[in-house]
Amino acid sequence: MTKRSSQVLMAEGLARTEQVTAAVEACYDALAVDDSEPVAHCLLAHLLLEGDFYDEAIAEATKAIELDPDCSPAYLALGLAYDRRGGMWDQSVLVWHELAEVVPDLVTAHVQLGEAFGAAQFEEEAIDSWKCALELDPKEPRAIYNLAIAALKREGMATALPGFRKAGELDPSQDDLFFALLGIKSVSDRPVDPAKVREDRSSRLGAAALAARADDLFVTAELVRMVLDEDPDDADALALAAFAYLKQEATNEAMACALRAIALKPDLATALYTLGVVYSRRAGLSKHAARVFIVFTRAASQHALAHVLLAESLLGLQRYGQAKKAYRVAIRLDPACVRARFGLAAVHLTEGLHAEADWEVRRAAYYDTRRQGSFWRLYDHYSEGGAS
Amino acid sequence: MSAKKKQAAEVAEPVIVRQADFPVGIDVYPLDEERRGWADWYDRDVEPEFAALAEARVWLVRIFVSWKYFEPQVGQYDEEAAGRLDAIMDAARSHDLKVLVSLFADDRLAEMTDVPWGKRRDPRTDDYLIQREVSLAQRIVNRYRAEPVVWGWELANEAFCTGFTSEADLERWTATLRDAVREVDSEHPILLGVDPETLFRTTGVDPRAAIDLNEYAISHVTAPYRVYAAEGPVTSGPATYLDGFLLRAAARDLPVIVDGVGVQSLDFSLSEEAAAVRTSLYSALMNGASGVMVRRYRDLETEKREPYFRDPFEVLVGVADIEGEPKPSLGEIKRFARVVARIDRRRYQSAPECVGVLIPAERYESLPSLAGLYGPRACLQSYIGAKEAHLPVDVLREGDELGAYHALFVPSAMKLGATTWHEIASFVQGGGSIVVSYGGGDTDPAVREIFGVEFLGDHGVRRTVSCRVAQPGALGDLRSFDARLKLPHFALLGHGGATVVATDATGSPLLTVNQYGQGKAVFIATPIERALAQGDPWAAPLVVRDLLRTVYGSVARAAGAGPIVDCDTPEVEVAVFMGEEDDIVVVLNHAPEAVTATLSVERMVAGVADARGGQLTEVGGKVFGVPLSANGASALRLTYT
Repeated sequence: MTKRSSQVLMAEGLARTEQVTAAVEACYDALAVDDSEPVAHCLLAHLLLEGDFYDEAIAEATKAIELDPDCSPAYLALGLAYDRRGGMWDQSVLVWHELAEVVPDLVTAHVQLGEAFGAAQFEEEAIDSWKCALELDPKEPRAIYNLAIAALKREGMATALPGFRKAGELDPSQDDLFFALLGIKSVSDRPVDPAKVREDRSSRLGAAALAARADDLFVTAELVRMVLDEDPDDADALALAAFAYLKQEATNEAMACALRAIALKPDLATALYTLGVVYSRRAGLSKHAARVFIVFTRAASQHALAHVLLAESLLGLQRYGQAKKAYRVAIRLDPACVRARFGLAAVHLTEGLHAEADWEVRRAAYYDTRRQGSFWRLYDHYSEGGAS
Repeated sequence: MSAKKKQAAEVAEPVIVRQADFPVGIDVYPLDEERRGWADWYDRDVEPEFAALAEARVWLVRIFVSWKYFEPQVGQYDEEAAGRLDAIMDAARSHDLKVLVSLFADDRLAEMTDVPWGKRRDPRTDDYLIQREVSLAQRIVNRYRAEPVVWGWELANEAFCTGFTSEADLERWTATLRDAVREVDSEHPILLGVDPETLFRTTGVDPRAAIDLNEYAISHVTAPYRVYAAEGPVTSGPATYLDGFLLRAAARDLPVIVDGVGVQSLDFSLSEEAAAVRTSLYSALMNGASGVMVRRYRDLETEKREPYFRDPFEVLVGVADIEGEPKPSLGEIKRFARVVARIDRRRYQSAPECVGVLIPAERYESLPSLAGLYGPRACLQSYIGAKEAHLPVDVLREGDELGAYHALFVPSAMKLGATTWHEIASFVQGGGSIVVSYGGGDTDPAVREIFGVEFLGDHGVRRTVSCRVAQPGALGDLRSFDARLKLPHFALLGHGGATVVATDATGSPLLTVNQYGQGKAVFIATPIERALAQGDPWAAPLVVRDLLRTVYGSVARAAGAGPIVDCDTPEVEVAVFMGEEDDIVVVLNHAPEAVTATLSVERMVAGVADARGGQLTEVGGKVFGVPLSANGASALRLTYT
């Protein structure tokens, strides 16, 4: 285990609880005692990076690496600082290359390396890096989006769209949207037992939704069937049934249920969502998807992903101006929405606004890397004595 | 005078081609190709370049002296160098251009201050080298001091000055060189080409005392500073306000020239470059600059290698391409020069700024204090909020005189000095209004007295801004909302006499207002400007921006510091140049989308015309619309009934 001073341990604790000001002071206290402690410099680099003070973060991360060339969290902080700062792509390439060798299973390093290559106009190397990231994690969304953007640059939107669709289908937050519309935030720890559900409509639908959230689609189907047996025109139950069918790739059945639900309750957000998603997955129905999502965004106007779904359907119809507006609304609602950022980047590229497109890609990386929290994983491993 | 007569008089006026009172200038660098060496210093015919610049109505060119080329050996001055400088002066003269001579500049390419006989001694601090610098400066100044073509002398540019490590060294060097120039030339203005904010950010050296030794000050956005303060697209959001903010921050007693206009990297399309140049030029005009200098005439032809990276003293991008073909940016300069030529500073005066954003002294603190890093960003957001409320806003620093202002905004300060609190108390008691947002930590006892709130503690980080309006109309048209934005602190406030205007979702005061003496004191319980700056300024929740804008606007209007010309579009900046019989209103769209801004004034407008001398359009009302393209600008002459 790497020996850490009490000041560093204090700084760590403060940093983990987001008390940035106090944590920075504690780091300086640690450095006053021993300025050759790489973890203190590394921690300070991370804190400064969290405050978006890139030049200062670069200086501290560099010191940490000088003191210990195996300090992997410092490489991460340094690479992220270079990338977020912009304009330092050649240094960035070197850092990510180094980190990808030191921690070969760190997917982020390959994705970031690809973006640094891309920004430096090394397109082939960038694509290789993203493919490498996908070998490690086939569901890595930024790698898929970046490949789609690369395809857009080379061959146009028609080649890029499958990539965007694939990334969209893998996006777990899309299911979160459906359940947010039902008022369900997280997966319940306890499985739903249909025998214990009270025999009223509301309880059955609630339990069915909880079961669907836990991916227990058999229980969902059973409970929904009970509701529909009592009232075949229950729009909410039909919408839930449509979603369950959609999850099983039974798109015709999903479409039928969703359409029936909408016929009964035209502004039912859950049904609109399911129908829009079904349409968007069926070739030739993009136009219908856009129409459905327009209504859906009215019903779920505060959900960023609703606007993203609309934008993506408009992107497929080559209505870039409208897609841009929808993406912008989504980003206003959720600046961290990686999917919206990449979509907007694609629109900017169709308009020839390369600098704006690059900015959106960088911003997507910014939020994605903050969300991942890779620093603490590397830091803990390094502090425990591992070189990587 | 009727509108038609005025129009006729306008036509009869001689057209001023270039405005000497507001120089529009450009930097012409010694080397335009990276493969060239230091000995190629201006080894080209600058005549065609100067002809193109004169045609674009540029009035001033800055050229850069190469010490290395002029003095290849100690005390031995190169006649070829003198000849090339003569040729530049001749070319400028023949095109009626003025020349600003930069004596000690670094462009990170031509090695201009890298004298081989200097033996690695620092030309900023070594006495012997400083004496050699004095000799060279006096030699050049003496040669051209009687030349009308010379406009002034720049002692050094910022790239050179980043080598200073202390205020005392910088001040001593500046004083020595300035005295040397003054010994032989008592007339032409002298300036030091550094921005007080950007140089301090880069080096930790506060150059204000050195700047004050000269006749002009400089303001400019450097690439590292843009990364620090407003990293993001250059044609929208905070980046478009940065020139104006730094200009306001640099303006104290000296006239300020906005320097380095233009983009800093080759990443942008020609239209983006033009939009960025246009925004900077008009921002300068609208915020009280005394002139502008564009970054570079011709693009630097870089070596064919990738990835390309140059330590950016950002002299890559010009207004003409590497072949010398004009880019759209040059057209922007020409159009801007035509507007400037029509705004005679003896006839029109800028409307006074009676609203101030106060930069706390903690800005000058170094790490581990984070105040020095957070401060300027929060102040920029405050400045933008005031601009979006269309207030006549200035930027001042803690310790500056407050008497000239009617309303003050103190954004997210962690602490202010005891003297400052005392001055603020006097300011508010005397009828001024103030908005202070909590910046974290303990509050000063003066907060209780002035703002009428009891500080009970810091509730810490929050992920959501919640606003519930308790007193509708007390601070403008506020609305209740919940928005996702990380707040680093939230002050828990107890009752101390203030009126609670809005609370958070749990009923804890968010906004309070207190009558203190003759004035009004508003307290925001969270560092809202810092939160906007540290979040994503390009995607900040509109409701939060709207809250800040509404509070600022309401407080300033109540204090009699509202806009002279109001506007319904927050992204459109408005400036007024007031004349005896007519006014000139300049509007600038900070958004990358076309808008039609509705302007409203207190007097009945008879007609509106393009300030450059277009047809007068009758208005006959107090409200009129101005269509603006994406990042567009317009200068209008208003006549009144």
